[in-house]
Amino acid sequence: MPTSQPDAATLIEAATRYLEDELLPTLTGYHRFRTRVTINVLAMVGRELALADRHAAAERARLAALIGRDGTLEALNDELVDRIRAGNLAIDDAALRDHVRRSLAEALAINNPKWPRRNA
Amino acid sequence: MTADPAFSDRLQAAVARHIGAPGTVHALTRLTGGATKTTWAFDADIGGRRDPLILQATDVGTSPVADPLAGLLPRLTAEEDARVMIAAAACGVPAPTVRAVLSATDGLGPGIITERIAGETLGPKVLRERQLAPTRAVLAGQCGRVLAAVHRVDVAPLEFLRHQDAAAQLVAYRRVVDHYGCRLPALELAFRWVATHVPQSSRHTLVHGDFRLGNLIVDGADGLRCVIDWEIAQTGDPMQDLGWICCRTWRFGGSLPVGGFGTREQLFTAYQEASGQTVDALDVRFWEAFGNLKWAVMCLRKGLRWRDGTEPISIEQVAIGRRTEEPLWDFFDLIEGRD
Repeated sequence: MPTSQPDAATLIEAATRYLEDELLPTLTGYHRFRTRVTINVLAMVGRELALADRHAAAERARLAALIGRDGTLEALNDELVDRIRAGNLAIDDAALRDHVRRSLAEALAINNPKWPRRNA
Repeated sequence: MTADPAFSDRLQAAVARHIGAPGTVHALTRLTGGATKTTWAFDADIGGRRDPLILQATDVGTSPVADPLAGLLPRLTAEEDARVMIAAAACGVPAPTVRAVLSATDGLGPGIITERIAGETLGPKVLRERQLAPTRAVLAGQCGRVLAAVHRVDVAPLEFLRHQDAAAQLVAYRRVVDHYGCRLPALELAFRWVATHVPQSSRHTLVHGDFRLGNLIVDGADGLRCVIDWEIAQTGDPMQDLGWICCRTWRFGGSLPVGGFGTREQLFTAYQEASGQTVDALDVRFWEAFGNLKWAVMCLRKGLRWRDGTEPISIEQVAIGRRTEEPLWDFFDLIEGRD
């Protein structure tokens, strides 16, 4: 994909630096909270830009193996959802559980990388 | 945030009308505002006293667009909410003391005025404030005893409560997922697991529905002082309330399974002693797992609700939408015994 420079990751980094280093110290209460949330959301977008392609390829490969045919990520995922809903897959099927776990781990690597670790 | 003078004047008139003159309002401060209600703290002169009070105002909604999922999940009116709190308090539950239910002539919309209890509600503070350490040591036991009292409340006079067994809840949450067209295998697997593991429940009781840190007022002297936010109260399997407070989301980073502050043994033992009912740990685990599924669906809804056109897009709500996978991760930890 051809991109203009500076790239998207740099834009996110610059926006985050402004919000965190310059704006946040001037804020209290409602706007401080919302600005923190905004900074977190920008970090999520940055991680998604870095990881989405790799995750999508891995997910599609797992789905193709589970379903037993090739197809787009969306079509294969739809078919898996339909099979689970129809009760055509055992809910303790090891390959299915493995796929679901990996997909959740990939999403959490973008949305909240700290979540899968234990607190204790 | 402070209120406009007209609002304050109407509140003073309502206090004078329902509770006592002169009703002069002081220090009116908005505590929280959500999609469904706004909470205000204020003091009012009544007779020769100045009483600390709370106004819980139900937001009736100003959007011209109807919520396509309205009525799907139980939500009490202000009057029903007040009746539940009065019934719970009469049964020994530390529920807010209701001083007034607003009427149409007050011009404030539907709402309730209750006594204000001093204390901490914020989960992270309850778990980390040094002076609350003695409270944390006894809180799980207090929660067990209070829940036993909640589940003893006679629901016969509360005829408006909706009965929400696991099957009814599954239907409601399923509809939310389908309304937004979500196609998540983890969610589908969780729905299938819940549908096939519903425990046989012999007890049907009042269920608070959102019993967790955030809705508990605690202090360093008495521990649990008040249980708030009764607006999704319903009837159903009482073990639901014990499972919900164990969900990792409501531990706010704390390491212990009950709300981050206590052990399941503390909670169950106190509940059993106070209620005379045996707690089956596996049943509670089911409701904890189902609680995780429900929270995942609520996250999805918060993140996608702007699509309905009923409310503007909000950074806070879309960020919560991206928390959907957290409880799903916990769901599989639970059913695979990895928690």
